[in-house]
Amino acid sequence: MSVTAACGVGGAEGSAAEGQPKRTGKVSGQITFRTLQLKPNFTAYVQGVIDAFEKKYPDVKVTWEDVPGDGYNEKLVADAQAGGLPDVVNLNTDSFQLLGDRGMLADVAELDPKVAKEYVPGAWDQYKLPGKRDGVYAYPWYVTPEILTYNKELFADAGLDVNKPPTSVEQFFDYAERIAGASGGRYTAFMADPKGRLPGDWQKMGVPILNKEKNAFVFDTPKAVEWVQRMKKLYAMGAMPKESLTKADDLAQLYGAGKLVFGPGSPGILKDVKRNSPAAYGKTQVAKAVTGKLGHIGIYTQSLGVRKDTKHPDAAAEFAKWVTNGPNQVAFSKQVTIYPSNAKGLADPYFADQGDGKDPETMARTVGAEELKSAQLDANTPVEWTTQVGDAVVREMQKGIRGEEDATAAVKNAQEAANKILAQQKKRQ
Amino acid sequence: MDDTVRRREEAPIAAPHVPEPAPSPVPAPSPAPAALTAPAPRRAKSPDTDPGLPHRRWWTPYLFLLPGLVMVVLFSLWPFVNTVILSLTDAQILKGGRFVGLENYGRALGDPDFWTATVNSVVYLAVVVPCLVLLPLALAVLVQRKIPGIGFFRSAFYTPVIASAVVVGLIWQWVLRSDGLVNTVFEKLHLISGPVPFLTDSTMLLVSAMIVTIWKGLGYYMVFYLAALGNVPTSLYEAAALDGAGAVRRFLSITIPSVKPMMLLVGTLSAISALRVFTEIYILGGESGGPGGGARTLPFLIRQVGLGFAGETGYAAAISILLFLLTLVFSLLGHRLSKGDER
Repeated sequence: MSVTAACGVGGAEGSAAEGQPKRTGKVSGQITFRTLQLKPNFTAYVQGVIDAFEKKYPDVKVTWEDVPGDGYNEKLVADAQAGGLPDVVNLNTDSFQLLGDRGMLADVAELDPKVAKEYVPGAWDQYKLPGKRDGVYAYPWYVTPEILTYNKELFADAGLDVNKPPTSVEQFFDYAERIAGASGGRYTAFMADPKGRLPGDWQKMGVPILNKEKNAFVFDTPKAVEWVQRMKKLYAMGAMPKESLTKADDLAQLYGAGKLVFGPGSPGILKDVKRNSPAAYGKTQVAKAVTGKLGHIGIYTQSLGVRKDTKHPDAAAEFAKWVTNGPNQVAFSKQVTIYPSNAKGLADPYFADQGDGKDPETMARTVGAEELKSAQLDANTPVEWTTQVGDAVVREMQKGIRGEEDATAAVKNAQEAANKILAQQKKRQ
Repeated sequence: MDDTVRRREEAPIAAPHVPEPAPSPVPAPSPAPAALTAPAPRRAKSPDTDPGLPHRRWWTPYLFLLPGLVMVVLFSLWPFVNTVILSLTDAQILKGGRFVGLENYGRALGDPDFWTATVNSVVYLAVVVPCLVLLPLALAVLVQRKIPGIGFFRSAFYTPVIASAVVVGLIWQWVLRSDGLVNTVFEKLHLISGPVPFLTDSTMLLVSAMIVTIWKGLGYYMVFYLAALGNVPTSLYEAAALDGAGAVRRFLSITIPSVKPMMLLVGTLSAISALRVFTEIYILGGESGGPGGGARTLPFLIRQVGLGFAGETGYAAAISILLFLLTLVFSLLGHRLSKGDER
């Protein structure tokens, strides 16, 4: 084993290819599999997947451990530092980046050269690492796409055509203005929440976020300024709940109460609306997400990584591929509102069946699945947009939207603050 | 074994209550000190004289202290030392970091966000502490009376104390938001033309958070004062009443001087709490600390700086140490005041 493992996570940056496990062709051994908060709701499903794998490969024994969501990444980090990473581990975007950057994960494209074509291209590409050739460091697992939902009754009340949802950010703002003008304070259009809207809105408006070298933010453009100006106007008009400028945690509640026109952007939250507010659910219309100049949505999948120094690379790789294969992902999607990252899974008739075209959840499934087929990484939040960068930008945007700061100054200050943080982050690397 | 020791071992059987000479070969200068000092070295350095008990060693008492000591070192002392060490590095969550000396401290002192947070924390303290020293005292004086049903009021005032800060925050959020209780009532009464931005203006948010802190602390410190008031002799009040002192005079001349040490304690405790305030602002003003982060206090800033994988643990540790020093200054101030009062 290379120095990488001996140094824990602290060393071996940029050396992902070193110490890559070699397949022996013998699928056997005892491997550990860690998931993120799937017990007890999905115990039967996951155990069923494991049992079927062990039946197919009798020489493999899979030990499943499930960890609660709170502090999942911290536990992963602690285990990685102690050299106790599981053979196959569920990773989200953050933890993938963290472990991948530090050379803790096996290159699954090398372990399994033919597997790439089984996944949706955007999903597969998500697990490449900058500067590390064509390596792919995790198998894409389930995914949640972005959709647009709106209360069709309120939409019509504002004089808008229910069958013509907005497709660009600018149009979305136009609609919000109409809604604010017509509502008389009875309802609002959408949640202000700059944290949830950026950098997505800017990307959809054609605003570049980073320079080509990815060492500086360059979003200080007239379009970004226009975004602040329009948000400011809409906020003053009452198009958004005042408190949503700093808090966005009651979207489902407000939408459920019929006080918000644009609802959840994720199919998963529709289930909550259906359960808690059947009336609002009945008035919900589902459409493709606003994608503006990009024309497609981003893709954020959960993934399964294989520990680079696993003693059983064959068993670990085969198992990760098994869990993420088409049939298993489709079976999982039927139990919970998630979507397969597996191309064969996504092509399953289940995701094309619109039913009578009236049930929002069914429509969300078909719309979401369709969007996933063309999802691209350029619509994702760049990794340089860290929590600290996001916070700094959001603070300036809040000042701009409230009118405490001129829109031009707000964008300029946001870029300066973001670049300062980025420079500090680069300096520490 | 010398004769002295042998004698001591035999002594209890013959005369258990007779004080024994010290083990030192030097004779005691007088009987009185010998009687006082003799038992201590005997217990500490020699086997117990009771044949039914196991032998004791000098370190036996320390053995009892050990579990607690280990816990204190592990969970209080080491984290503190570690924070000091971290504050001198550019550490991140997964990177031990390089030694950067006092760079983080220099950076904090030149960071406008740090100064905004410090000012907010100190203003918070300056407003909240006097309120929490005086209002609970007034409340305690009111509920101290033994009248029917007073138990209900005492419990009612104490209820916010046992409610979680998150629940309290959520309740107040619904009271103070633009379409909340207060704004709706004010609008119905035509007292305001538009909603008061309790939660969306940094200054108002800070004031709202202070109100919540005071409301939640009232019952807690009221109990402190109730205990103090219970120790004031009623004869003092009776004598003052006979001398013609009214209620206000009795309060100023008897109650206040009697509970002054408790007032200083409450002042110190509430000052420390005020410097640690986080939840109220987070729940009421969201994770940016109000619009533009204008209502951030020092603990809020520490969390924001150190959060996430890109979080700057070293810098956050430096701000933590600066907050510790600020807390220390106010604690020493409280201590000095109480010393002055004793003199």
